[in-house]
Amino acid sequence: MRLPAVEVRRLYFRYDKEYVLEDVTATIWDQEYIAIIGPNGGGKSTFIRLLLGLVQPTKGEILLYNKPPLQARHLVGYLPQNVNFNLEIPLLAREVILQGRLGPKKFRFDATDYKLLAQVAKELEIDTLLDKKIANLSGGERQRVLLARALITKPKLLILDEPTAAVDINAQKRIYAILKTLKMTKIVISHDINILLEGVDRVFYLNRRLFIHENIPLKLKNNGGHFCEMELFEELKRRCDG
Amino acid sequence: MGEMLHFFANSFFAAALLSVAIGVVGSLMLINRYNYLAASIAHGSYGGVGMALYLGSSILLGATLFAVALALLLAFMTYRRHRHLDIFIGVLWAVGMSIGIIFTDLTPGYTTDLLSYLFGDILMIPNSDLWFMGAVDLLATLFLSVFYHQLLAIAYDKEFALTRSVPVALLHTCTLLLIALTIVMSIRSIGLILVIALFSIPPYIAERFAKNFWQMVLLSVPIAFFIIASGLTIAYYLDISATATIILLAALAFSITFLQGER
Repeated sequence: MRLPAVEVRRLYFRYDKEYVLEDVTATIWDQEYIAIIGPNGGGKSTFIRLLLGLVQPTKGEILLYNKPPLQARHLVGYLPQNVNFNLEIPLLAREVILQGRLGPKKFRFDATDYKLLAQVAKELEIDTLLDKKIANLSGGERQRVLLARALITKPKLLILDEPTAAVDINAQKRIYAILKTLKMTKIVISHDINILLEGVDRVFYLNRRLFIHENIPLKLKNNGGHFCEMELFEELKRRCDG
Repeated sequence: MGEMLHFFANSFFAAALLSVAIGVVGSLMLINRYNYLAASIAHGSYGGVGMALYLGSSILLGATLFAVALALLLAFMTYRRHRHLDIFIGVLWAVGMSIGIIFTDLTPGYTTDLLSYLFGDILMIPNSDLWFMGAVDLLATLFLSVFYHQLLAIAYDKEFALTRSVPVALLHTCTLLLIALTIVMSIRSIGLILVIALFSIPPYIAERFAKNFWQMVLLSVPIAFFIIASGLTIAYYLDISATATIILLAALAFSITFLQGER
């Protein structure tokens, strides 16, 4: 029997007077790989922030493994969009990864944390980066370090916000290859439609309202991956409106 | 002669205690980009100095209460990311100073040199201030030691820290309160106007050489002490203002580091 990892029911969210999300209902199953695409300002990042409990819904309900988001944070690994980091701080990559082990009452790292650090660094092949300053890493290396920070929590649900933004094509391929191997529920926001060719199970198209498509990746493959972003969005919109 | 030696010894003690505060709190200010907030607290707390003069109470107490109130208000406003935050910070800065000036004007028979609070005088530090400075240093060092990883996580990526349920609002408020106390402890030695420059420059220089944050803090302390002690010595021999000399030396060190970084 399939277990629900994420249940979203009649979700509404607004900043000031304008609704960013309207009547969003969806179930994401355990071990599913979901891509969320949609235009800028369509509510993708807000949806993620709601799942993480960083903002509260105006209306509606969210459950992560049958718990409200604030009670399920220990089950979630998160890789934020690579824009707001303060790179002026002298921080080693290992210190950044270990931040994933912090909690409300956890101030110090113990032997288990260091063991997990070594494990995740080996898995993501970043052992040699651990003692480098985070500011000195390339975009791709930094993303793998941040992915390690998300994975060191041993999450059941991994949420990634634009994991391949601002990295070169080789780094993108490497990140997608890593994601394919991870055995957990995965939700990836991306404006890069290449994600659809990377083995996702379903595509969520979010533009204030949510539209779910089961077969877009297959169709893309059949077309040789020649959909451009606008064509894809138009196609999705047309079908959803229909 | 004995009295002069006493003042000189006190000023070196003050320099050492200030250097510890610069290392810990100055570094926290820098990585959190709180310098503008700290400047607002520093200038605004002049309101507490003026009110204490008017009421005839302890200036240290007046400035502390005022600075703490400003820090709490700013903590609330910055955490909520208020839309007009920059204006709000600037208004608090100006209102605090204006309150200070008006209460000073209203104080009957007030003759103390106002400049001593605005620009400080490290040669005139009484023993009671040294105890206060030591207590703030101890508090700052304990705070950083206990919450080191959580504070770094917040400074690097606040949103991720929130997803780990780190008490971001509480630690943000405590950091601003610590900045307020540090500013108050520095009023008599470096003054409200110059305090931010001296708290920013040594950590900025240290950051260039440090591999991690502990190194940045530990390097900032001797850099700060070297600048302050050199300034004191030069000012003594040239018979010029110690605080102004210290700030100019710090600015020189800053310029050299900045230009090297630009190469």
